Amino acid sequence: MTDVSLRRAIGPFRSPLLILAILASLLFFIPFFVVIATSWTSGSFLLFPPTGFSLQWYESVIGDKLWTDPFKLSLLVSLISTVIAVVLGTLGALALRRIRSRTGARLLRTMFIVPMALPPVAYAVGLYSVNSTVRIFKPTLTAMIVGEALLVMPYVFVLVSTALGNSDPALRPAAATLGASWPLILWRVELPPVLPNILAGAVFAFSVAFDEVVLPVFLTPVGQVTLPLKMLTASQEAFSPQLTAASTLISLLALIVLGGVNLFSNRRARRARASAKAKLA
Amino acid sequence: MSVSAAVLPEVLPRAEIEPPVAGPTRRRLARIPGSKAERRWLLWPPLIFFIVALLLPMIALVGQALNGKKGNAFAEALSMSSFTDAVVRTVLLAAIVTVITVIVGYVYAMGVATAPNWLKAVLMAGLLLSLWTSIMVRSFGWMLIELPKGAIYWFMGLFGLADKPLELYQTTLAMYPAMVAVMLPFAVLPLLSAINGLDREQLNAATVFGAGPLLTFRKVILPSVAPAAISGGVLVFVMSLGFYVTPLLLGGPKNMTVSVIINTQLNTANRPDLAAAMSILLVGGTIVIYLIADKLFNVSEKWG
Repeated sequence: MTDVSLRRAIGPFRSPLLILAILASLLFFIPFFVVIATSWTSGSFLLFPPTGFSLQWYESVIGDKLWTDPFKLSLLVSLISTVIAVVLGTLGALALRRIRSRTGARLLRTMFIVPMALPPVAYAVGLYSVNSTVRIFKPTLTAMIVGEALLVMPYVFVLVSTALGNSDPALRPAAATLGASWPLILWRVELPPVLPNILAGAVFAFSVAFDEVVLPVFLTPVGQVTLPLKMLTASQEAFSPQLTAASTLISLLALIVLGGVNLFSNRRARRARASAKAKLA
Repeated sequence: MSVSAAVLPEVLPRAEIEPPVAGPTRRRLARIPGSKAERRWLLWPPLIFFIVALLLPMIALVGQALNGKKGNAFAEALSMSSFTDAVVRTVLLAAIVTVITVIVGYVYAMGVATAPNWLKAVLMAGLLLSLWTSIMVRSFGWMLIELPKGAIYWFMGLFGLADKPLELYQTTLAMYPAMVAVMLPFAVLPLLSAINGLDREQLNAATVFGAGPLLTFRKVILPSVAPAAISGGVLVFVMSLGFYVTPLLLGGPKNMTVSVIINTQLNTANRPDLAAAMSILLVGGTIVIYLIADKLFNVSEKWG
């Protein structure tokens, strides 16, 4: 898909623009490659360029409970908060389509987007204070899970409501006229076409929740540490190749999983479009 | 924004395939009031969640701020120069980061839109890499680059430029590239969908009638992408106000943001009331800025 009109419109500015864009993309690539490179050093210090090549630091991370336990805890916390965020975010996006008043719809939309603007530390202090008042929460992960669910809900909401907005608005009244009850319409008519976006929202929410470091600083129960928190404390105690090896492993895992899901959902969406076209023809 | 890059490639072609229903009809049909039962089941669960997860912590903050033993925590916070300095520093930091991010974001989005396919793939991969890798990992990358004997030192050494170790790490300058890199996707994605939505006929007309690139930019491109630039910028700005990890790791003790100060008050100085008062001021300020921007520029509408 070459954009001829746009290219012609920017004329001679195209090459400088592209060079600047490539330079800007280095902001994304270089830090990542530097982290990877330092992790395969055969020495015991973080150095760039790395001295020699060995996978010793990867082995030491994989075999170390101090790294694997936080990984499991992060997995658990982000999974639960993702489920909450996906269910409630999707409900909110569906509700948005059913509100008559413009002001009401606007308020609802703002409510769902505001958590993106919430400064994490200030919010964490608030949760912390709830946590210390309500004693039953204190030894559990509840507050952290609730907090992370709130922080990632906007992503689900935005993706699902965009998809709902793109779907055919006449389907719901049509189904209702034919006598379908609203839960049936929801299940059989409204949700299926937006499923790829719900999935994408879930993946996005999960990766943001998994990445969250500020809430755990304040809210992990004694003796439990999430992976990002472990990385933060490790970086302040001893900035070692073990840390960059763990970083590399977790990034590669994320890239494989997210990339795979993305490919899968794109292919699915393409297939759905192709079959819809075939039916029409 | 079509927020996630994960869906981005998919949203765009679909818009081309389905010709939009005529504007007003579509809008009228888009929101059909639901029944009472629908509203109860669809609206109340998220509302209750927001009360528990958002309102309750905010109320708890107020309670904690008022429960201090040394009088009015708000007045005390505002009279502390370390706090007011941090506020000024944080706002300035957020503003600079926002301006750089929006400009670079526009260039990046234009790059994606006009690049040959291989380069487009590289640029998109960069965005995804940033969205999909942990902020901790990215911060470590910047630390390794900026340390006195880090990657920049090595690189300069290749050209014989580095005679002594760098004094870059834990300075104000060290924070900017990292923060811009963190925020860039949030500016690029809305700008990219605005650029892809540009009216090609208008662009062609401008070219045909002999408008140069600068005139076309000013009269055609800028007016169309400005809303996206503004809503992306507003989001980047409010998110930057809450920066914690990046300044902590890269900026050092001289560059404490409001968030870092709050953490110090709670965990080091053992003043939960002060931490709460500062948190309220930070949350309140951020939300007020967001709501005003939302009122003026319909930010939420652009995103939802």
